[in-house]
Amino acid sequence: MKTAKISNPSIVLQLDGLTKKIGGKAIVDGLSFDIAKGEVVGLLGPNGAGKTTTMRMIVGLIGMTSGDVRICGQSVRTNFEQAISHVGGIIENPEFYPYMTGYDNLMQYKRMTAGVTEARIAEVTRLVGMQDALGKRVKAYSLGMRQRLGIAQALLHEPKLLILDEPTNGLDPAGIREMREYLKQIAEAEGIAILVSSHLLSEIELMCSRIVVIQEGKLVTIRSLGESETPTQKLLSISLQVGNAERAQELINLMEDITIARADALTNRITLQLRQDQIPGLVGKLSTAGVEIYRIEEVRETLEEEFMKLTGGNRIA
Amino acid sequence: MRNFTGLLVNEWLKLSKKRSFFVAYAILAVVFGILAYAFYELSPDGLNSTVDFATGTIMLQAAGQLVPVLAVLAAAGSVTQEHRYGTIKFLLIRAQSRNKILASKYIISVVYTLTLVLTAAVLAVVAGYIVYGGGAGESTWSDFLTNIASLAVYSIVFVTMTFMIGILTKSNGASIGVGIFSMMVGSLLVMLLSRYTITKYLLFSNTDLSVYNGEGPPIEGMTMAFSIVILLVYMALFLSVSFAVFKKRDIA
Ligand SMILES: Nc1ncnc2c1ncn2[C@@H]1O[C@H](COP(=O)(O)OP(=O)(O)O)[C@@H](O)[C@H]1O
Ligand SMILES: [Mg+2]
Repeated sequence: MKTAKISNPSIVLQLDGLTKKIGGKAIVDGLSFDIAKGEVVGLLGPNGAGKTTTMRMIVGLIGMTSGDVRICGQSVRTNFEQAISHVGGIIENPEFYPYMTGYDNLMQYKRMTAGVTEARIAEVTRLVGMQDALGKRVKAYSLGMRQRLGIAQALLHEPKLLILDEPTNGLDPAGIREMREYLKQIAEAEGIAILVSSHLLSEIELMCSRIVVIQEGKLVTIRSLGESETPTQKLLSISLQVGNAERAQELINLMEDITIARADALTNRITLQLRQDQIPGLVGKLSTAGVEIYRIEEVRETLEEEFMKLTGGNRIA
Repeated sequence: MRNFTGLLVNEWLKLSKKRSFFVAYAILAVVFGILAYAFYELSPDGLNSTVDFATGTIMLQAAGQLVPVLAVLAAAGSVTQEHRYGTIKFLLIRAQSRNKILASKYIISVVYTLTLVLTAAVLAVVAGYIVYGGGAGESTWSDFLTNIASLAVYSIVFVTMTFMIGILTKSNGASIGVGIFSMMVGSLLVMLLSRYTITKYLLFSNTDLSVYNGEGPPIEGMTMAFSIVILLVYMALFLSVSFAVFKKRDIA
């Protein structure tokens, strides 16, 4: 019995060692992370990383091999109906009964949940801007319209958590921007937590406060975006061009807390990691030792590059 | 409870909002219309009244056979279409247990079957009345009701089997194929194997209860009560498999 886990009331989604094995292969492997109320978290990973599988387990479409998912404290494994009542979701493409109108499709989900009113249907329809198309049959809808209707059905029962699997897939850049805008709006208007997956960081980084990176089913890293570490404490990457790289290297090796990432004797370039407050000392040491300094540059890695490095690039897309 | 009623309404609408919904009823109307016209033109021997006409045409060996075929077509789609459309992913992420969702699907498949039986019965009587305007014949209303009841039982048994195959295969075509094929081949199989007493435990030896009101059972010693028990055992088996598989299935 795991009773040690004290449930924090603001935690909406909690993954605890979530694992799925199919045919002996772990597709999702011991994944753990939490999402708090009102947070928008990105689940990032290259194609085949296990994002869809993770989300299917969260909403109970597939069983878990081990671990658990708790939604507002309720286990999906043992208390499915209560747990899922807090969740709205779209896993992969939004699919509807094509021969029914958008309205009839929403009515299907209204009848499945107690307490959803006609007024609520009108409200979510307005939120996703589908008022004018609701009377049309879904088979006449564009992908963008189906995405919107998908989000409308997910919001119908006022969930506390929204699970969206690659919602930007197949949308053009304008559509992606639009989606981002109204997801942000929804997170604010409805105060709900959102877990959104993507294989492209650039498509979700503007709306997420945190990114969970996975690869081959395993957690790689969790990053807060717009992190504000104090600049003096932060490790910087600096590239130096000097007169004599070998000599410089010898000197730097004697200094504490500075690590050399790369040194190239041919171009006389050295890349190193240090804190900002160590730079003046370094420059002074090199100058007094007679090592000429031609350039000092900060090497800035974009999050995208970092992500590519973490996940070995995006092999498919 | 209000929720379960909602599920039933949903399933009924999934059937009835289809453009093809009225086709099944229209086919029955056309077939009984043609039969009425043929009987009016040919006036065959032995058929002298509205009840004779209605009782004869609604039999499984006559126009009645259409009812289980049409019912199987719909039952096959109940679960398989959700997979085909991909809507199963929205259906199963609601605060409703999979058991309840499947129960609503099964109940509506049976209700739909009963509407077909009822339509056929009404059409048979109306067509018979138009041709014979009442009249006196061999058959009684009781015979007619017996035939309707047997038709309903036969249809529901095959609907239940097809429903299960739909869950197992997730394929509409395969379920329709197996459902209709076993209807066609089942009685043939019973005929071929009628020498062996064990054949009486075969589902197909028991599906047509109307034999107890006429020609007699396919194998010596069978009784109506025996057949009903066998049918109930098979139905329980089909439904247990359906619910067990549907509950455990990974929706990929
Ligand atoms: N039902 C399944 N059987 C076997 N392998 C599967 C199944 N579903 C997914 N996989 C495999 O699991 C891996 C993760 O898939 P998925 O969760 O769809 O990744 P993502 O959504 O991140 O692209 C892939 O390699 C995929 O081939
Ligand atoms: Mg995916």
